[in-house]
Amino acid sequence: MTHIPRIGIGGPVGSGKSMLIECLVPILAKVGYSMSIISNDVISKEDADRIRNNLATKKGLLPENMVIGLATGGCPHTAVREDPSMNLAIIEEMEDTHPELDLIIIESGGDNVTTTFSPILADYFIYIIDVAGGDKYPRKGGLGITNCDLLIINKIDLAELVGADLEMMKADAEKIRKEKPFEFINCKTDQGIKKIAEHIIHDLLLDSQPKSKSLKKV
Amino acid sequence: MIKINSVLGSIFESTKFDRTNFEKLVISRIDLEKRILRKKTDLGTDIGINLDSGIKLQHGDIIGNNETKIVVEQIPEKVISVKLKENNQNIAILLGHIIGNRHRPIAIKDKMILFPIQENSELEIFQRLFIEIIDHIELKIEEQIFLPHTSADVHEH
Repeated sequence: MTHIPRIGIGGPVGSGKSMLIECLVPILAKVGYSMSIISNDVISKEDADRIRNNLATKKGLLPENMVIGLATGGCPHTAVREDPSMNLAIIEEMEDTHPELDLIIIESGGDNVTTTFSPILADYFIYIIDVAGGDKYPRKGGLGITNCDLLIINKIDLAELVGADLEMMKADAEKIRKEKPFEFINCKTDQGIKKIAEHIIHDLLLDSQPKSKSLKKV
Repeated sequence: MIKINSVLGSIFESTKFDRTNFEKLVISRIDLEKRILRKKTDLGTDIGINLDSGIKLQHGDIIGNNETKIVVEQIPEKVISVKLKENNQNIAILLGHIIGNRHRPIAIKDKMILFPIQENSELEIFQRLFIEIIDHIELKIEEQIFLPHTSADVHEH
């Protein structure tokens, strides 16, 4: 069975996980990558419905059935780390029926700083925080912040309003992340989103062409 | 970029490789778990790892192609080592129960239980958790290459 590269996106409630997906997918789709999105939540499927409406129904960037809502019914991290079987079952079906996909994006429900994805589930782990949560966040650490492949600090437009010191966040992130990357973004204006797409194409997709472009005409 | 899909051998097991010309790929234990990984060697060679199903990188693995051979080197990390002062089964069971409750992977080495930590301050946490058996054990922070017990394929947080 084809292994389709998978991104796991985790972060606290309201940090911008769904919004990040809504900003990233148009950029990656423009390059030609074909994607599916699995949005985990505890009870509702509201995020998945919103993403489907915005990216599939309104913009036509992917088929509507390629956005899947998964109500996990428990602590969000359990469905992406301790027991990722519900997500894996969907992915295995995807890999079987849609080998043309280049990428699967898995959004975790909002959770705490110790959130990580099982390496069985996600090949690349993005952790997203936002300045409104407090500029102490990068310094405080936690496995999500220290060990993710890419740390994203969102809502930088709010920094001045909430008294968050971006320079301090940058220095703290450099210290705690060592050589691992981090980026500042603003999903409301797409600021910094192109860089996130570049990280994904370089680090996860290994600069490979979209499958649709590499398929030969018969 | 050199594409890597499989492992050629292990530096600890094979004598068929010329060890003098190896490049090093220094990576963390967490990154060793990954199937897809892009990193640079110590000499700056760009490596794109996309392992075939069922293959997992380990400390000492040799990867590469005909021209370039690379040895995988795991980064040492902080661990707490726990040594039982006496051979007491009850203490050992309780110790395993407490560590397991914290969802830590473990290694057993030289009659010691080792588990990874992020900060030195975690020693104090575990001293409290072990309070009922603290007189029966010795705790120490060490820095070493942590090789989890193969049956301890657990998450941690």
